Order: sequence, then structure tokens, then C-alpha cells
Amino acid sequence: MIRKRQRSLGEHVEGDLEILPLMNLFVVLIPMLLISAVFVHLTVIRMNLPSDDASATPPQRERLELSVSITDEAWVVKGRRLPDQTIERLTETAPEELRTVLAAVKQGHPEEEDVVIVSEPTTRYDDIIEVMDASRESGLPNISLSGS
Amino acid sequence: MRGRKWRRDAHSKHRPQRLQLTSMMDILTVLLLFLLKSFVVDAEVVTPAPGVELPTSSADSNPESSLVIAVSGESILFANEPIASVADVLAQDDLLIRALDQKLDTAYKQMEELAQRRGKEAPEGKILIQGDRAIEFQLLQRVMYTCNFSGFDQVALAVVSEG
Repeated sequence: MIRKRQRSLGEHVEGDLEILPLMNLFVVLIPMLLISAVFVHLTVIRMNLPSDDASATPPQRERLELSVSITDEAWVVKGRRLPDQTIERLTETAPEELRTVLAAVKQGHPEEEDVVIVSEPTTRYDDIIEVMDASRESGLPNISLSGS
Repeated sequence: MRGRKWRRDAHSKHRPQRLQLTSMMDILTVLLLFLLKSFVVDAEVVTPAPGVELPTSSADSNPESSLVIAVSGESILFANEPIASVADVLAQDDLLIRALDQKLDTAYKQMEELAQRRGKEAPEGKILIQGDRAIEFQLLQRVMYTCNFSGFDQVALAVVSEG
């Protein structure tokens, strides 16, 4: 009896959802979000430039004064009481070699965190960032820039 | 069975045809959720300036809200307004970029005033430099020198994350 009644109802009423208002909402929302969506993830490298009051605190210990000079064909890693090390930078394994050298320096002087990147006036920004990456990954996050 | 259905459809020609929207709704719902998620995750949105191709790096610190200087191959932009041309800046011997210095000074004074009203001492000199990957060090040096000269000593370099 009940079943019969249900069937007769189903024949007359079309059970469709009213999804048009929802579609309108989607059509507006999706372009809006697509426009504001970020597909390139930007990050930053923080640097501290020398400020006036920084000179007031004298260094507590003897510094290594580690520096990486970027020349046209090579990176030169220098430091006090360290032998100069030159790495050909145009080869494919060069970034790895630089990381190894810097990591070795860091291992010998675990308290050291500073490194100065010495660039020539025409050094590309890209190349500077590459050296920055290498030194940060080797545990030397305090990077300063300097001209030659 | 099929023939019967056909005939029934042919008979009900006068009924309005409905679009099959269900699958489209599925797509839209997934897309909406995905976009909402990416909208929520990136709290601080930094859009790269047009004409500036940022270098890639493995750095992973997130950008904070700050003033933005963009350095493209042709000009230096402050707050999306070109203020100096690269050729002029490189032609001068002085490290200080006068036009940029003036803008930064004005911005710093405004920030100082704001900080005073809020009862804080000195404003934090935060600035974000978006440099094109091909610019030369001498240009970057000049921009950074000018920033430091105007009191902005917390410089961050914008890069595109590798991962």
C-alpha cells in the first residue's frame, strides 16, 4: 500500500535540486580566488646591514673573517689562519664543491656564523644568491656583502 | 528496453531538457576548496613586480610586510612607481641614489611619526628588495647603500622558492 503511494508520488514530482544559485556563487567566487591565488611561492633572504649602534659592541673573540670572493671563473674561500681555496665555478659540480669546502670550515670552527661575500662590480645577482645558498646550507647564515 | 526509453523521450519532447550539472559541480567544488586552501595558507602575499625575474634559492623564510623596492633591468621602482633609471644610477660615481633616498626618507619619517603616536621608540627599518636575476652587483650595492643611509637596515632579498 505504502509502496504504491510512493511510486505514484515519484511519477509526478521531479526531484531536482535547485543548483543554479550555487552555480552563480561558484562562477563569481572561482575567478576571484583564481586571480588572487599564488602559484609562485616567494621567500626571502634576510640580511643585516651594518647599523650605527652595531659598532658599539666589540667582538668577543677572534673572528675567522671568512670570505668568499666571486671572480669570473672561480670562487676563492679565504679566512684568517686558513689556506686560500680556489674552486672553479663553471663546472657542474662546483656548487657541491663550495658546499663541501664551507662545511669543512664550519666543522673546524663550529662557533663561526659569519661570512662575507666579496663580489666584483659586474657580478650577477644570481651568482651572489647561489653563494648565499651554499653558505647558509653549510651553517653560515650571517651573510654580508662587500665589493672588491 | 532501450527502444522503449527512446520512444518515451520522443513523446516527452515538450518537456524542458535539463543540463547534467552534477559532474561540473563536483569539479567546481574541488577547485573552490583548493583555491580557498591556497588563499588561507599564504598569509602574507608578495607579488613580484612586473618585468622582474627573481632568482631561485633554497631559502625558506617567509616574507613580512614591508616596503618594496624592485630593481629591474631598466629602472628602480619604489612602491610600484619608477623613480630612477638603471643607466643613470650606474653612470654616477656616488653610491647614493638621490631619488630613492628622498622617497625612503619620507617613508621613514612617516613611520617614525606613526611609531611615536603608538608610543614606540624607533620604527623597524624593514625593506624588501626584489632584484632581477641579471642585475649587477654594483647596482645592488647602490640600492642597499641607499637603504642603509635612510635608516632601513633590515634588508630582505626576495627570491623564488625552489621547492
